[in-house]
Amino acid sequence: MGNKQTIFTAQQLDAYQDCTYFTRKEILRLFDRYRDLAPQLVPLDYTNHPDVKLPYELIGSMPELKDNPFRQRIAEVFSEDGEGNMTLDDFLDMFSVLSEMAPRDLKASYAFKIYDFNNDDFICKSDLEKTLNRLTRNELTEDEVRMVCEKVIDEADLDNDGRLSLEDFQHMIVRAPDFLSTFHIRI
Amino acid sequence: VKEFVALSTRDRIRAIRDLAMSFEEKKHIRWVLTDKQLNLYCYTCNKLHSQSLRRCGYSIRSARQTLELWQGIMKEIGGKFGTSVLSYFLFLKWLLMFNIFSFLINFGFITIPLLVYDPSPNIPPNVSFRGLEILTGAGYFNYTVMYYGGYSNETLIGLVDYNMQLAYFFTIAVYMVLCGIALIFSMASSFKENYVLADTVSNSAWQLLCSWDFSITNERAVRQRKNNLRVQLKESLSERAQRELLTLSEKLKHFGVHLGSWLLSTGLAVGCGASIYYLYAANWSLLQEAETLLVPFVVSLMNLVVPLFYSLFNKFEHYSSLGRQIYALVVRNVLLKMSILAVLCYYWMNVVAEKFSCWESMVGQALYRLVIVDFLFLMLGSFFGEFLSNVIGTRLLPRLGVPEFDVARNVLELIYAQTLAWIGIYFSPLLPAIQILKFFILFYLKKVSLTQNCQPPRRTGRAAQMQTIFIALLFFPFFVGALSIVAYTAWRLTPSEQCGPFRGLNNTFSVVGVWIDDLQEIPASQWVVWIYQNVIRSEIFYFLITLIIIVIIYIFWQVTQGRKQLIGQLRQQIVNVSVLHP
Repeated sequence: MGNKQTIFTAQQLDAYQDCTYFTRKEILRLFDRYRDLAPQLVPLDYTNHPDVKLPYELIGSMPELKDNPFRQRIAEVFSEDGEGNMTLDDFLDMFSVLSEMAPRDLKASYAFKIYDFNNDDFICKSDLEKTLNRLTRNELTEDEVRMVCEKVIDEADLDNDGRLSLEDFQHMIVRAPDFLSTFHIRI
Repeated sequence: VKEFVALSTRDRIRAIRDLAMSFEEKKHIRWVLTDKQLNLYCYTCNKLHSQSLRRCGYSIRSARQTLELWQGIMKEIGGKFGTSVLSYFLFLKWLLMFNIFSFLINFGFITIPLLVYDPSPNIPPNVSFRGLEILTGAGYFNYTVMYYGGYSNETLIGLVDYNMQLAYFFTIAVYMVLCGIALIFSMASSFKENYVLADTVSNSAWQLLCSWDFSITNERAVRQRKNNLRVQLKESLSERAQRELLTLSEKLKHFGVHLGSWLLSTGLAVGCGASIYYLYAANWSLLQEAETLLVPFVVSLMNLVVPLFYSLFNKFEHYSSLGRQIYALVVRNVLLKMSILAVLCYYWMNVVAEKFSCWESMVGQALYRLVIVDFLFLMLGSFFGEFLSNVIGTRLLPRLGVPEFDVARNVLELIYAQTLAWIGIYFSPLLPAIQILKFFILFYLKKVSLTQNCQPPRRTGRAAQMQTIFIALLFFPFFVGALSIVAYTAWRLTPSEQCGPFRGLNNTFSVVGVWIDDLQEIPASQWVVWIYQNVIRSEIFYFLITLIIIVIIYIFWQVTQGRKQLIGQLRQQIVNVSVLHP
């Protein structure tokens, strides 16, 4: 215990603690989890800012993520290159937003990005169809999928443009108090 | 970035964390802001000072995290069963904290001074420790510091003069007040975040976009959730197709069934209460050790069996929504437990207090027995509720399937157990220690039972609402009831003459009066005397406070009404604007 770690400089740790919701111990523990995914790729010394990216396959094989139907979208949203290959910063950012201390608005905006498959800042019908297929293992008929998506847009679209904007989504989240505890990955 | 400069450092850090940007951008903004501050104001020492303060805050947070109990187990349960089942275990941990705090302050302020002053308890010569005391709490334990009777009423002369009477009174009073404040705060914050009156669970949009539990990590659980979601979506689609309109005769039939069930359940609750009263009245004269266990046994048996009847009634009734069904079940169970507790307390306050010499210790023992037998029955209940249901559901009647963990019933049992401990603190200061052991063992027991016997819940949603209701229930009938019992005992009942810290006084509360009279001699503490006489004892003060609070509540209520109207108008404006600019 104490300040005897040599992985990060004190300034780096300060920056991590200021920009995420984690404490020093959690950051070091998360670094160990990151390194365990690929010990030969991740150096033990981050003081000179090495440029290391772990490919999506390794991230998606983590026990916390491997059964999540949205793991690929989560990795894509939080990674810098949009492909799911994550640096340590992206990794910490991802688990920080998904931790229990992140506020509702932050989680809502990231959940919106996750459900927005075509990255056009709106959740349109095709995005909803893809979400539904991920969540029901393709077992609903075409008609049912169409009806559910129409019903969702009916219920949630406030400004009547046929697709959900971030404000519509946030309005829906405000009325769903469980969201804070379900949009949460424990690590 | 400009608006961040104007904020204080702490708010700035919070605002940076809350940005929905990538990590690199956040770090850049942070660098810009801190360096700019350095350049603009040149307060190098200020920057270092605030940074070291922040580091100090972070290390405190780290240290607090090492004390966190059961993190790994909570993660495992949340991963396999979801957040609604996890809320039971979080509630159990929260109640455990109350008991740990209570034990520490009772032991520290009441028991330790007495033990230091007089380490050997004065036990009569022919009483020795037999094993039965652990169950009945009488016998050897009666003369120890376990109960009210073991405490002296003197001022202990030692390093300092320690007034046992004041210590006993104030420790318990302060603990109850702190508990009340903690409960009110958590209830208020829970209401603010979670309690939404609109029933969004049947809403398709909610089911699709907000209900997926990201914390589930078990492959089978994920598959099951997907199945459940599919079933729920299909149900809600078909509900839209056939919205059934009930005929008048059907409505009357449903109303009749509801009325019948409510009458039956209230009758059962009242009947249980009355039978316990008569059992107690007939049996109290039997002070032989094993027979004193009869009443707690009957109480716990009723608490175990009657809720099963309530669930049975529930199956025959027809409810418009699942929420109403759960609420009805919860209200009936609460009525049952309240009526049993009310009868027990009535008996203790009115009959035992008159008849016996060291009556507080008697009541303490009765509560001890109730707590122990309740624990045994909780274990039995786990066995019958979960293990046997699993066996029946998998081998004998496969139609029933593997049981689910009934969160509502288990949380109500926890609330009842905690109420017993709260009532018992005045009569038996070390009862929280028993409660700590009980909750500790219960945690592991329930966890094993859950993982071996139960499946994840089929219907998701409303976990946050249920949690708010449970905290509200814990506060409103149960904690307030326990507090009123203790307050009534302190105010109206005469303490027993032969034992305990308040012997010889008219009522417990007069301890404060005696102390104030003593304080009037000392000129430095006149302000305490003034506060006591003009604030605590004067009725005008309470009247004025009540009036002011009522006026404030009325103002807040009007503000809320105004805001509701504003929300409606703004929503209409959004629709209008989008029509004009498609």
